[in-house]
Amino acid sequence: MPTASDVLYYAIHFNELRNIIQWQTWHDPVHNRNPEKEAPSLQICFDFLDKTSRSFSSVIKELHPELLVPIALFYLILRGLDTIEDDMTISLKEKDPLLRQFYQNTEKEGWNYNGNGPNEKDRELLVQFQNVTEEFRKIKPVYRDIIKDVTEKMGNGMADFCANAEHNINGVDTIDDYDLYCHYVAGLVGNGLTRLFVESGLANPMLLQRPQLQESMGLFLQKTNIIRDVKEDHDDKRSFWPKEIWSKHVDNFEDLFEPQNKEAALNCSSEMVLNSLAHADQCLFYLAGLKEQSVFNFAAIPQSMAIATLELVFRNPNIFKRNVKITKGEACRIMMKSTQNLQLVCEIFRQFTRKIHKKNTPRDPNFLKISIACGKIEQFIESIYPSQDPKKIIEAQGAAPPDPTPASEAEAKNKAMAEEAKWDTIYLLAAVMGTLFILSCLMIGTAYLFGARFDVALDQLSKGKLSKPSGDEAQSIIQDYDHGEL
Amino acid sequence: MAISVLITGGTGFVGAFIVDAALSQHPEWAITVLDLRLPETPKSNVAYETGDVTDLTLVTAIVDRLKPKVVVHTAGLVPELAGRYGRKLRNRVWGVNVNGTQNMLTAAKAVGVEAFVWTGSCCAVTDDMRYQYPNVDETWPTSTTSLIYGESKAAAEALVLAANDSSMATCSLRPSVLFGPGDHQLVPSIHHCIVKGETPFIIGSGDNLWDVTYVGNVADSHILAVENLLSKEKTAAGEAIFISNEQPITFRDFCLVVWKEFGHFPPFEVHIPVAIAALTGLIAEWVTWITGSPITLSRGSVLDAVGIRYCSGEKARMLLGYKPRVGIEEGIRISCKEYAQRLKANNASQSKT
Repeated sequence: MPTASDVLYYAIHFNELRNIIQWQTWHDPVHNRNPEKEAPSLQICFDFLDKTSRSFSSVIKELHPELLVPIALFYLILRGLDTIEDDMTISLKEKDPLLRQFYQNTEKEGWNYNGNGPNEKDRELLVQFQNVTEEFRKIKPVYRDIIKDVTEKMGNGMADFCANAEHNINGVDTIDDYDLYCHYVAGLVGNGLTRLFVESGLANPMLLQRPQLQESMGLFLQKTNIIRDVKEDHDDKRSFWPKEIWSKHVDNFEDLFEPQNKEAALNCSSEMVLNSLAHADQCLFYLAGLKEQSVFNFAAIPQSMAIATLELVFRNPNIFKRNVKITKGEACRIMMKSTQNLQLVCEIFRQFTRKIHKKNTPRDPNFLKISIACGKIEQFIESIYPSQDPKKIIEAQGAAPPDPTPASEAEAKNKAMAEEAKWDTIYLLAAVMGTLFILSCLMIGTAYLFGARFDVALDQLSKGKLSKPSGDEAQSIIQDYDHGEL
Repeated sequence: MAISVLITGGTGFVGAFIVDAALSQHPEWAITVLDLRLPETPKSNVAYETGDVTDLTLVTAIVDRLKPKVVVHTAGLVPELAGRYGRKLRNRVWGVNVNGTQNMLTAAKAVGVEAFVWTGSCCAVTDDMRYQYPNVDETWPTSTTSLIYGESKAAAEALVLAANDSSMATCSLRPSVLFGPGDHQLVPSIHHCIVKGETPFIIGSGDNLWDVTYVGNVADSHILAVENLLSKEKTAAGEAIFISNEQPITFRDFCLVVWKEFGHFPPFEVHIPVAIAALTGLIAEWVTWITGSPITLSRGSVLDAVGIRYCSGEKARMLLGYKPRVGIEEGIRISCKEYAQRLKANNASQSKT
């Protein structure tokens, strides 16, 4: 049910309400899953997908049938892994092997885990994990190998970070560590998905030859979420903002949340945004390699949401006070644009890049760097979708080659033209002035005929009375004039 | 034997940087500078000739005596901002940029110069105000009817590229707007806005992207071009190549950073719609036309301020292996520091007199 504040919000932001209605009425999924033909365990898996993911579940469920189940299971497996990593009630001794060997459990019949703390929000998924392993064993071995490989790498990476005492106390240290952390939790997902897309023939195999692109797809999302969730993570006693960045702006990470450090905190968040923004053009490049519509939608929606979120968090002091998020109306507009073609996604990117650019302020130490990053995104979009065609301009000009006429001749021609232009302007000016003069005469004359007192008006004006007198006042002034001598 | 290199305009803004780059990257080159006058502090390892490139007899005599293997023709005339939109200076600009270039080409060809690198300008394309130029590449046409500077650069470029043949390889480099130490146009005029109180005003949306090039990077591109034309492949022969810092930003942001270097932040911001600005420009032109005083505001300067002008660095990268060595940020810092010193020196000399 919408809350009262929602009703009020959409009563004012009518356009956003319109977006929501349009999305819900007109969005036509590229593919629909067919629950009747699904095994009970698969239906349970899809139920878990709905419960564990707000944003991904709908796009996953519209995927091409070839990839629908593999990607849904991929999501649930990684969600399971994440639920173990997140849980601070599990001892390191138990957690380490669990993370590292999780990939082996994905195929074990009947495997599940009930060691999560009672407050862990997705604990139920692991308690009933046998449904996932059951379905996982049914999918094509090539897909299974890819998913297992990524799960293994991610599990090891997470275990390394958990074992790193320094990381647990101080959070992420350098920008390189930050990139590495994001690689484990997001870059690897990009890698796994790309391999699934290519394996299924729904994406250009060239994507595998540019690993930087898939890495950026993951990092752009992850880094943007890390910026947005800074307050929530801090409340949970975690932080992912690298010390290398925040230490330039404040002495202790906690200082970012003190109201008196607002400017420093904003500058720090800008630097984080700048770091994230560097991936944007590569994400667009990646999207150009996706052929199938449902795969494109699946990949493009989160990216568009990320650029919109980045704009939302940029120089927004509220991120240090509470959880900020895009309104539903805005989200629907973005989803509509992101489920058509790359050009519209580029338009979204350009639009939010310009908004970021508008909020950028010269007092920010990274002002110019942010400006350059925004320019780079625009230039990239222009390079794939040029707004003008030089060939047409050449045609329009009739392909006249440059004409090195001797200076004197050309100058004489120019002089004559300038002279002509001068007289044209004089005639034009005279005509305008003449018309104005006649019109003024007509208007003043009419006013005079109707009895306007120009003598009184001029005299009063010269005394410095510029405002219009009230009716009675005006009458008495006229009286004074007419009977001055009496 | 040392490679003999003749650099025209070698004491000017760009020329001096080219001489420095050549000296540091190619100590084996024997460099001669031809310019209107000697520099204030001549370099011991450079030979100097004085003369005007518009004088064919003189140019021929000098080139004939030196018999250089390489000519870097960078002498040119860029009209001051006030003269940019008018046609008053057309003859002078055309004389130096087109006739001067023709003279150099004639003289160079006569003595068997092998490589001829010419400093063109992006204005050969972008001075035509009818169009916007986002991410333009070399497939865009040059314009014969634009501003006096752009027209002269387009015409001269046609001469340079037509002169390319098997004996003499030529190429045209088209840098975008230049800045750097010794710049008398860009940074000084942006700095001057602070005193005039013009910093809060933004014409149009302020979204239009724009290219600048740090002068040292332009110098690098000339050295790369000479190396290319002297190589066996000569891939740049007969080519025009855009040169920029490959960091398009908005003109407004460039100004904001310059002002920031001088400790100034606009106290507020006012957006002026393009139509109103253009109308004001038109009225200013009438006033100028009637009174005869030089133009400060005009429709041209308004169109310049709201225009999109940036190029693709693809061809420069592919043919020359060019990559800007100094980024905009560092470039602005260096330029502003040098300009602040210049201002200080000026003030000091003024207070003495």
